[in-house]
Amino acid sequence: MTYSTVKLCSSRGAYEAAPQPRLELDLGSIRDRLVAEGVPVVDCRVMLLLRMGCEVTLGRDGRILLKTRDAEEASRVFEELCRRLDLPREPSSVKG
Amino acid sequence: MRGVMLMSGGIDSPVALYLMLRQGHEMVAVHMDNRPFTDDSPLEKVTDHLQLLRDRFHQPVPLYLLPHGPTQITLMRNTDRHVGCVLCRRFMWRSAERVAERENAQFLVTGEALGQVASQTLSNMRSATAAVKLPIVRPLIGFDKQEIEAMAREIGTYAISTRPGLCCQAVPDRPATRSSLLQIQQAESVLDVNAIVDDVLRRSTVL
Repeated sequence: MTYSTVKLCSSRGAYEAAPQPRLELDLGSIRDRLVAEGVPVVDCRVMLLLRMGCEVTLGRDGRILLKTRDAEEASRVFEELCRRLDLPREPSSVKG
Repeated sequence: MRGVMLMSGGIDSPVALYLMLRQGHEMVAVHMDNRPFTDDSPLEKVTDHLQLLRDRFHQPVPLYLLPHGPTQITLMRNTDRHVGCVLCRRFMWRSAERVAERENAQFLVTGEALGQVASQTLSNMRSATAAVKLPIVRPLIGFDKQEIEAMAREIGTYAISTRPGLCCQAVPDRPATRSSLLQIQQAESVLDVNAIVDDVLRRSTVL
């Protein structure tokens, strides 16, 4: 399982990354971990809303949405989130 | 006649508003602000749509901005995600009806057309609109997408609607395309519906 690319979503309003195959994340423990590290988190049960430079949506299946149209910022926030949560990924590849 | 128009920032609602204004109705616009499940772009688009149509028809068309994100969070935390889109629509309708009461409007208007998205099947529209009593006008109901897009291009709203933006992040993976009113009412029974709508109206702003 890994994240391979971060790509501009179809409506061109954000960047998204989806692991293959999909995950089954424990959002409760991720929430606690991020809050303990000082990351603002809103727990919506089926997804977490995070603020890490830009707003980020993290789904239970591992899908990540980075609410920025700046490819560099998307890449930077994605890398930081993967590092904080130990999410496996291939070398960064951003498609605009 | 005075009506309340639900404006999303998409392609359909400004066309529906255009048709109502062209018929001479006095209109009030409502935008359900879906942040943080979207970005600023829907509000910016609605503002630009309205400016274009206000100038064209020389009508003020006040815009009520109603916070919808907190309602979405409540729905996600407490209800069956499968029917999330129908529940979401019911709160939009309720909020719009409250604005209509405040504005002495006699009807509600939407840009819905049959079958375009999950919330626009006949059974889901019925489940959603059962939440309100005012009549609902759907000027686009019999048009297909190509016809609506052609009208949007002609009146100048298409370019605004198709600017980059963010789709609703609260849409479940597999939204129900068929729902029964009983199922929806059961899903909603855990919520304090009036308190939620009261809070939405209390936090509304008029632009």
